[in-house]
Formats: sequence, structure tokens, C-alpha cells
Amino acid sequence: MKVTLALFSLGVATIESQATITPPDFQFRVFESGVASGGEACNFGSVNQVSTTEWFFQGSHSNTSGTSMNWSYLVDPDPFITGTFSLTNETAFGKSYVIDFLLPISPAIAQSTVSGQMAGTLTDSNGSGSASMTSTSGGAVYTALADDVLVQSLMSNANQTVSSAFGTTSFSGGSFGQGLPPLAGPAINSTIGIRFSFTLSAGDSVSFSSIFVANPVPTPGALAMGILSLLVARRGRRRTA
Amino acid sequence: MKNKNNLIFITGIACLISSSASAGFDSSGALFSVTSSAGSGTLVNVPTQITPAAWSNTGSWTGTNASVTWQNDIQGWNSTTSAGFTNGNIVIRNNTTTAQDFAVTIAMLGTATGPLVAAGSVGGQYVNGSASLGSLTSTGALWSAGIDGATVNTQLNNALFFAQPFQVMSLGSFSFNNLAIGNSITDRASIRFSLRLSAGGEASFTSAFSFQAVPGPASLALICFLPIVRSRRRR
Repeated sequence: MKVTLALFSLGVATIESQATITPPDFQFRVFESGVASGGEACNFGSVNQVSTTEWFFQGSHSNTSGTSMNWSYLVDPDPFITGTFSLTNETAFGKSYVIDFLLPISPAIAQSTVSGQMAGTLTDSNGSGSASMTSTSGGAVYTALADDVLVQSLMSNANQTVSSAFGTTSFSGGSFGQGLPPLAGPAINSTIGIRFSFTLSAGDSVSFSSIFVANPVPTPGALAMGILSLLVARRGRRRTA
Repeated sequence: MKNKNNLIFITGIACLISSSASAGFDSSGALFSVTSSAGSGTLVNVPTQITPAAWSNTGSWTGTNASVTWQNDIQGWNSTTSAGFTNGNIVIRNNTTTAQDFAVTIAMLGTATGPLVAAGSVGGQYVNGSASLGSLTSTGALWSAGIDGATVNTQLNNALFFAQPFQVMSLGSFSFNNLAIGNSITDRASIRFSLRLSAGGEASFTSAFSFQAVPGPASLALICFLPIVRSRRRR
């Protein structure tokens, strides 16, 4: 029995290590003024393996239309995304942005529970005496995505402002699914992601720290296995005693 | 008489401009450094000129499972506005399994003629990316602004923040204005972050430090004199 369990554990460990040799294809997409850009995050910075399943991406992207952004994200294809993303609008006029960060997941989740949270900072970076970050068309600033479909959103109708030169304002964007009972999510087959959608005033910058976690709901079979393992462990302890 | 008044006006403006044009900051004078218990070094700097007097600096540093990413703008001493600033976003991450100390300095090298008046602000977020209770702390000032190596303002003193596993929290925002600085800047103006992050923690800050020339007595006298000249011309 012990040999069987050991072989089973070894098999799981081998599969896990094979699955995490290459970093996940963590992607970012930028849509501004109808123009799309982006790519694999690791091609715009660096990626480091932090643990068996966790990867850390950091990088930056500047385009010719006056947008400068950088990011620092810890991701796990198991899956979660957490980290910070900053963007500066270097142009002389306000612009609307949609920024997506997308992570392929493994394995697929038949039924999920989800949680997420965000906070941010807005700064008058050009010293003009004012800055604003608003929802685009009254939508949400943060949207959690599963298979590119909305799961939950935060900061609808946002209107953050700064009214002093080089001033800063911090805001809490709220959360979902962090209490009990867990918040039921959808089946997730291929990706999870976070979308930031906002309009930023000229010459100013905004920074968002956020998280999106999806957990599989244990299936009846897995639950039975879990209970059985507990019973076996208990029996083993009794025998030792 | 009219020509004489115009001459005084032009001479005065020229004096105002020349008094501030003697100073300067530029992108090549930017210095970014980090010291931490997970390693130390100079941050890679990629400057881009965004206006005739302002540069955007971006880059990152990666130590032993710790990293700093930043985007920072610097505006040189501007002869029109007699002002300069440094501001930007910075993200500090600890991917190790133990708490780490970080000190990050962003300095703009150059000079500016005093007296000056300064302003600044800082705001940020803390993310606990670990499965344990996380903390962000500082002994003394987490954020400080300095001129020529001397601290002129501090914010987030003795900071103490706790976050539950996989939680994001706002650190709030803090600012100061109209800080009088009697001396000239002879070497550098800088922002410094000093903090301790627990395992798996990430701190991100947006901050600014700006300064502006205070008109000298001669300039003030000239500004007062101009309306008198103009009213005399109207008569």
C-alpha cells in the first residue's frame, strides 16, 4: 500500500515538474484609441520561477503614442494572478485605455470559486495641478476574466481626482469572494485574466495593485478521497500510539 | 519715455530668466540604486526624452528573488517656470521565504539656485502574495525627500501594515506643500524608500518631489514696479 502511494506521489511530482519547466504564456494586451499592442510579458522584461508552480514577471512597455507602462506580477497557472501595474499617459490629452493581463491555466476547472481585490494610486505626474482617472463610459475599472468572459468587476463609475500639483490620491477598489461562503465562479477551461479599463488625464499616472484567484470546487470523488486519507492517517496514528 | 519703460521691462525679464537658467538637471544625471538584504546594485536605467526639459526613466533590478521595477520622470530646471521635479512609480517585491529590508534611492543630479519652495507626495499599495499573514513596516521614515544628502521631509514614519493572505491594501496618500528651503541645491535632489517586506510581499508607491524658485527681493521689486509703469503709461 505504501509502495503504491509512494509511486503515485512520484508520478504526480513528475507530472507537476514537467508542467512547470517552461514559464506560462502570460500575455498583456493594450488597447488605446482603437489601436492594439502587446505580447508575451516575458518578452518585455523578465520571468523567474519562484516556486514549483509560481512565476514572477516584471517588465515595461512604451509605445510611440505616448504610453509608458510597467508591471510586476506573480502568477500561478493553478491559478492566480497578483501584482501591480502602472501606466503613465505622456501625451498632452486624456486617453482611454483597456489593458488585459491573461494567464493560461492548468488544469481546467470544472467548477470554481473566485476571489479578487484591488487598490490604486493616482498622481498628477506633470505638476499641472490636477489629475483624473475615471471609468470609461461608466464601466468597471477592474474586471476579472475567465476564458475572456467577465466573472466579477470592481470600481464601476469610478471618478478619482487629484487637485494639487504633483499630488497623489490612493483608493481602495473593493473586493469580492473574500468572505464565507466562497463565491461560486464558472467553469474555466483555458485562461484567467484581469482587465483594467479607464480614462486617464494628460501627463498623469495611475497604479493598480490587484489579485484574482480561482479555486476548483472539490468534486465528490476528491472529497471522498480526502476523507479517506484523513481516516487512514488517524488509524496510522492510533497504531503508532 | 515709452522706450525707456520698455527697456526696463525687458531688462527685468532677462534678469529673472538668467537667475534661474544657471541651474540644471538632466536625464544623464539620474541615479537609481537599491540596497537590500537580498542584494544591492544600481538599477538599470533606460531614459527617454518626453519634452525638451523632461525625461522618463524606466528599468528594473533583480536580486536574489527580490526585485525593484520603476518608471520615473525627471524634469530639468526649467528656465520658464524655474522649477524641477522627480516623480514616478516604483514596485518592490520580496519573493524569498523570509522578511527582507530594502532601501531604494532615486536621485536627480544637478544644481538649482535657492531659495526654493518644495512640495511632495506619496501614496501606495501593499499586496501580500503569500499564504501567511504579511507585513510592511519601516523603522523611521518609509519615504523621505532629500537635498544634497540632507533629509528635508519624511512621510509614513514607523509604518506598520498587516495584510491577510492574498490581500491587497491601500496605504493611503500623504503630501506636503510650501516647504521653504533656504539653500541652493548644489548636488542632488532625491527620494528614498526604506522598508521591510515579509515573505511574498509587494509594495508599490507613486511619489513626487518638486521644487520651485522663490523670487528674490530684486525680482519682487520688479514685479511690483511693473503695474506702476503700466498705469503711468495708461495715463
